[in-house]
Amino acid sequence: MGLVAFATGKILSSFSVFLFLTILLLVVSRRFSTSVMLFSVQSAIIAAEAFATGFRERLAAAYVVAALIVLIKVIAIPCAFFGLANHLKTSSDMKASTTPTQSVFIAAAMIYLSYAAVQSYGLSVHVPDDALAAPVALILTGAFLMVSRNKALMQMLGLLVLENGIFLAALTTTFGMPLIIEIGVFFDILIGLLLMGIFAFRIRDTFDHLDVSKLRRLRG
Amino acid sequence: MILLAPLLIALLGALVVLGFRNHQVATRAALLITGLEIASLMVIIRQVHERGVLQVGRYLRVDGLSSFFLINIAFISGLVLVYASGYMRHPGEGRFTSPRWFYALVFLFLFTMISVCLSANLGLMWIMMEGTTLASALLVGFYNTKGAVEAGWKYLMVCTVGIAFALFGTIVLYLAAVKAGMNPDTALDWAALMEALPRMGFDSHLVKLAFVFVIVGYGTKIGFVPMHSWLPDAHAEAPTPVSALLSAVLLNCAMYAVMRYDAIVSHAVGAAFPHTLLLIFGVMSMVVAGLLILVQRNLKRLMAYSSIEHMGIVAIGLGLGGPLGLFGALLHIFNHSVGKSLLFFSAGNIRENFGTLRMDRVTGMARTLPQTSVALVVGSLAIVGLPPFSLFVSEFAILSEAFSQRRYTVAVLFLAVLSVVFGGFTYYLLRMLCGDDPKSAPANGRLLPSEYSVMGIAGICLLFFGVRIPHIFTVIIQDAMAVLR
Repeated sequence: MGLVAFATGKILSSFSVFLFLTILLLVVSRRFSTSVMLFSVQSAIIAAEAFATGFRERLAAAYVVAALIVLIKVIAIPCAFFGLANHLKTSSDMKASTTPTQSVFIAAAMIYLSYAAVQSYGLSVHVPDDALAAPVALILTGAFLMVSRNKALMQMLGLLVLENGIFLAALTTTFGMPLIIEIGVFFDILIGLLLMGIFAFRIRDTFDHLDVSKLRRLRG
Repeated sequence: MILLAPLLIALLGALVVLGFRNHQVATRAALLITGLEIASLMVIIRQVHERGVLQVGRYLRVDGLSSFFLINIAFISGLVLVYASGYMRHPGEGRFTSPRWFYALVFLFLFTMISVCLSANLGLMWIMMEGTTLASALLVGFYNTKGAVEAGWKYLMVCTVGIAFALFGTIVLYLAAVKAGMNPDTALDWAALMEALPRMGFDSHLVKLAFVFVIVGYGTKIGFVPMHSWLPDAHAEAPTPVSALLSAVLLNCAMYAVMRYDAIVSHAVGAAFPHTLLLIFGVMSMVVAGLLILVQRNLKRLMAYSSIEHMGIVAIGLGLGGPLGLFGALLHIFNHSVGKSLLFFSAGNIRENFGTLRMDRVTGMARTLPQTSVALVVGSLAIVGLPPFSLFVSEFAILSEAFSQRRYTVAVLFLAVLSVVFGGFTYYLLRMLCGDDPKSAPANGRLLPSEYSVMGIAGICLLFFGVRIPHIFTVIIQDAMAVLR
């Protein structure tokens, strides 16, 4: 049993390393399409992790969740993003308010911070530190993308990265929430994205651009 | 099975209303559906009052606390829909801007808010809370103007991120429950949690962490400072009936979620930690919103900041705890809903007649819009907490709790903010009521029957509850308090 636990820990840690890699690439990517592909890869890693959890814990529900992630986050959402970007005829520049160099330093600092934050919890939930730090780092990165990118579509992507982090936190610490709740959460995300898509169209139609930082009429 | 009735009526109602292209038919259908909805909620409330708890399956459950919030939903949604039937008479003809879309979205919005109060499971509650954001985002952006689109986008983004933190908090609490040995299937049912907490040792670090995330997450929807940035925009840009629903029902539903967690966390790690957090957020919201009220130019933004201030008052009442604090907080939730609806209704009439909500352009209202002016004055006097109106009673209860617990800082800040707000409201009110006659005279100052009837009901309710709280209502609040203990 000791060997299995050890091996599981190592596998979880290496999954986390791949996730950190996607984080660093996401914050420096200059094109929207690259970011969407990176999000897709990131979701695929999480799906693999969900699948592995299902295998190890003999949880049928985890298989269903893994399949849902592949369907929705790896395939459907990236396709929808590409379609949306095409329809909105937006330029691929994402109007970052930080330079790539600054972004890498900020991302590195956030990864460090997430390790520091989970240190006291790692032992109590019997999960390696890397596996706990990865979700926190994802949440922070998602929030960072939302505040530092001015394009409406990029903010939506930031939200999805943040949500990936929360999902991963549930997966690594409790092997996922009850299935019906997971499905409800997925449903909410889908509807939320649909609405944000509608609003992206409305922003373009009423303001003739998609730069959310220029929406500054309402103040005080 | 009665618990399913309001949910089904709202969902089917949304579909049915969509089928009517004619304005008048759609409006009548909407009123009929609202009537059915309120009737079904009343049956539930009555049964809960008689039996204590109603449960259907594993996911729906109503007890005293939820039934108190259901009363609030039933009363306010009734007022709002009757008001809307007159207010939405000049509709746009865009894709989502016809009355049938308006009513369909409102019923969806009601569906999600009622589900928040009916859900027995913290995960389901989160799903429905996110549902409230989704259902109301299109309503906030309903007019499709620049301001409305901006407010809708901001609302959607800020609340979705905020609510995501609440999901994280829910997961952490789930982790604590599973670690303490609860069955994973029932570890999110609040009834099971409340029952298991005294027996099982929950990891207090995890429970505290969960509460911090939950109060930040749901606090975003309540409008606690500093997560309030979406609230004034959404309230100001939404159609007036929707502003009333947001302020008087939605914020309370989010408060309901926080109260559930507060009870759970108090059981697990003692009341000191959650109550301190509630007090901090409450005082912060009250002070900041109270000061911002002074610099507003738009009437509906002024009211939105006043909503933040009143949610702060409720949070202070909850944070103080104790019988009077809790009683005051619950009573204040209801009173604020009624008062704020009345104010938003009068703001709607002002907008209809003056074509603007900028307070410097609205003058001489007392002469040109006498009926609306009366409503505005009654609503404002009530909302700043003057006797004999009902908000005085609930604020007084909270304040006396603060004094009896010797929390003088809280009490002094509370009183200071109330007087600042009183000054602000009086200044703006006098400027709008008196002054020169407006350059563009209002087209028609008379109110429709649907408008003055709901405004009359709200005004009488404010006055009546200020003089004497009906016995049945006291009993219902006590039922709700019993759940929180």
